Amino acid sequence: MAKVIGYVNLHSDVSLKGLTERRPLASVSFLGRYGIIDLVLSNFSNSNIDNVGVLIKEKPRSLFKHMANGNAWNFNSKNGGVQLLYDEKYAGNGMYNNDINNIIENIAFFETNKPDYVVVAPAHIINTMDFSELVEAHAASGNAVTIATQKVKNADEKWIGCDYVKLDSDTKLVTQLETNMGNAKNRMISLETYVFSAKAFATFLKNAEKVSPFYSIRDMLAYSLDERRIGIYEYKGYVRCINNYHAYFDVCLEFLNYEVSTQVFHTNWPIFTNTNDTPPTKYKEHASVRDSMIANGAVVNGTVEHSIIGRDVIVGEGAVIKNSIIFSGSVIDPGSVLENVIMDKHARVKNMKNLKGEVKEPLFIKEGDVV
Amino acid sequence: MGKELVAMILAGGRGSRLKELTAKVAKPAVHFGGKYRIIDFPLSNCANSGIDVVGVLTQYESVLLGEYVGAGTKWGLDGNNSLAAILPAREGADGANWYAGTADAIRQNIDFLDQYDPEYVLILSGDHIYKMDYAEMLAAHKEKNADLTVAVLNVSLKEASRFGIMNTNEDGSIYEFEEKPEKPKSTLASMGIYIFTYKELRKYLLADAKKADSKHDFGMNIIPDMLADNKRLYAYEFKGYWKDVGTVESLWQANMDLLDDKNTLDLYNTKKDWKIYGEDTLAKPQVLGVDAEISNSLVNQGCTVDGSVTGSVLSANVFVGKGAKVVDSVLLPGVLVEEGAEVYKAIVDENVTIKAGTKINEEQKDVALISNNSL
Repeated sequence: MAKVIGYVNLHSDVSLKGLTERRPLASVSFLGRYGIIDLVLSNFSNSNIDNVGVLIKEKPRSLFKHMANGNAWNFNSKNGGVQLLYDEKYAGNGMYNNDINNIIENIAFFETNKPDYVVVAPAHIINTMDFSELVEAHAASGNAVTIATQKVKNADEKWIGCDYVKLDSDTKLVTQLETNMGNAKNRMISLETYVFSAKAFATFLKNAEKVSPFYSIRDMLAYSLDERRIGIYEYKGYVRCINNYHAYFDVCLEFLNYEVSTQVFHTNWPIFTNTNDTPPTKYKEHASVRDSMIANGAVVNGTVEHSIIGRDVIVGEGAVIKNSIIFSGSVIDPGSVLENVIMDKHARVKNMKNLKGEVKEPLFIKEGDVV
Repeated sequence: MGKELVAMILAGGRGSRLKELTAKVAKPAVHFGGKYRIIDFPLSNCANSGIDVVGVLTQYESVLLGEYVGAGTKWGLDGNNSLAAILPAREGADGANWYAGTADAIRQNIDFLDQYDPEYVLILSGDHIYKMDYAEMLAAHKEKNADLTVAVLNVSLKEASRFGIMNTNEDGSIYEFEEKPEKPKSTLASMGIYIFTYKELRKYLLADAKKADSKHDFGMNIIPDMLADNKRLYAYEFKGYWKDVGTVESLWQANMDLLDDKNTLDLYNTKKDWKIYGEDTLAKPQVLGVDAEISNSLVNQGCTVDGSVTGSVLSANVFVGKGAKVVDSVLLPGVLVEEGAEVYKAIVDENVTIKAGTKINEEQKDVALISNNSL
């Protein structure tokens, strides 16, 4: 059986305004009880890839805490596990702080595992891809690199800043890898998920050192198109890109739609996360909750509509929460009214009883703030 | 050096008064409170009390319980020099030996205890709902220089006839033990929680094993034997929420108690010092649909509610369809209440489907137990 190792690439993370002020996108809360990184980690775990390195770009504290010993993601603990790959040296040095330098700096992870294939996947592109199928398709193709892609019809609205590919009509190999500026509807979008044959990966890293220390994996792929055989694997399942603050808000709330959530939550494809040992959600006498996702430990005594309520959140009597995302441990005092709000962890609505953001610009309340 | 204290949880009983709920699992493994199994309470209490070696004695339907307890990881009992060990009745050179009674079960595991050479042994039942700091009880045991300390609960005089009652002197020393007395002299009921000084326990267990007429039971044999020898037995009064969930009715009531804001169990850990640990089921987030109505209820992750739920406890992966009504009920994991079905004052067993249009226990006189057998 071919050995596959994985990298979760957090170097391509984007900023989500206040949400990523003190943490990487990867550990931003997702659907009340996950971190965004849980999806890609679960994909690796469910694809039976047991050796996974997380390429951390910056602000690692909350990620270290979330990952703990990595046991929650069900990786084989003797013959695998999660390694957090981080290099302080590059953290404050923008152009050098890229995925290739991080991989080279932590090259032992690649070398000691002696893989046949390497899968690199980002955290901010949400999907439930079976990487074993991706690797199989790659192995059968004989290409040096395979990029997972999806054909989209809304590249003029979503996927801005992501990459798209163009293919040679005969060989089906990638001839162009460009940034999507939103000037066309139909694009073959790169999901920034790559599979390399191990030898090709080693050569790729070596070349990168020669070409430029500022080049990322994506840049090197674009640079190598003429000399390397780079193919694609078309992924047909659910996929969304959290590439900005609005996208985060939209993607999260979209999960309230049953047709969307059932595409992601399958019994044979569990989404793993660490446990917090919180009791079940408590709905009190004055609770009125519909069209929402509520995490364990929350105590609700108000009205909640079309919202996501995180762990241990307290919604006081008569409070009203609409179209909002409340992170774990926050407190909404009795009588408060919130609409179009993203409220970060352990914050409290106490004095300002009426907080309204816009659907297009949800109001953000910082972690720990009492407003 | 030996451990100061090792805990032993008696988890071998069937709990036959729980009927179909214990058809395939031992009573300590019965689901409780939407997220827990009963044994999570004593195990979490051990972990929170700083106890790091816990033996779990199993007999009846022990496979699931053994799997659940595993190495104790769920309760943090898996550090260095720490473990939860499953101790099923076993076959030895002298043949197969079932546990003949509570004392016999401990006696058959003297080899396990000897390994740790503890000064004290804490004996617990696997079927009570409560939060208790055993470290405080141990401190009391040491302070009194006791041979045995029995945790007691002050019950009403009316209830006292249902329990083993400890008759005590003013200083808390026990002079008499009466099992379910018709005319109780005291209202201090034994909770089945004992701290023994191990060398005394060991002696009495070995002596008891030789007695042909003994039931090998702590209450019926060991305690009376020690009293007869004028050993130092003390009662330790526990104040707080404690519930023995031995019957369908009491299991239902204990679940309902969780909905009461005045309940002193503090499951929500408002004092931030005593979490109850257990299994975090791999399940999708809990979803309330556009037609959901919910109040006064506990709901675990993985549930989908699109109907009306009041006064109820929903375990993981329960589905309540549109127009369905769930009132004053406890739904165990995986229960499916189809559109328009109605359930009143019931415990519904794991993975049972309540078909569309059915009405369960409308008259709501007694608690109904709904299992796949009863439908």
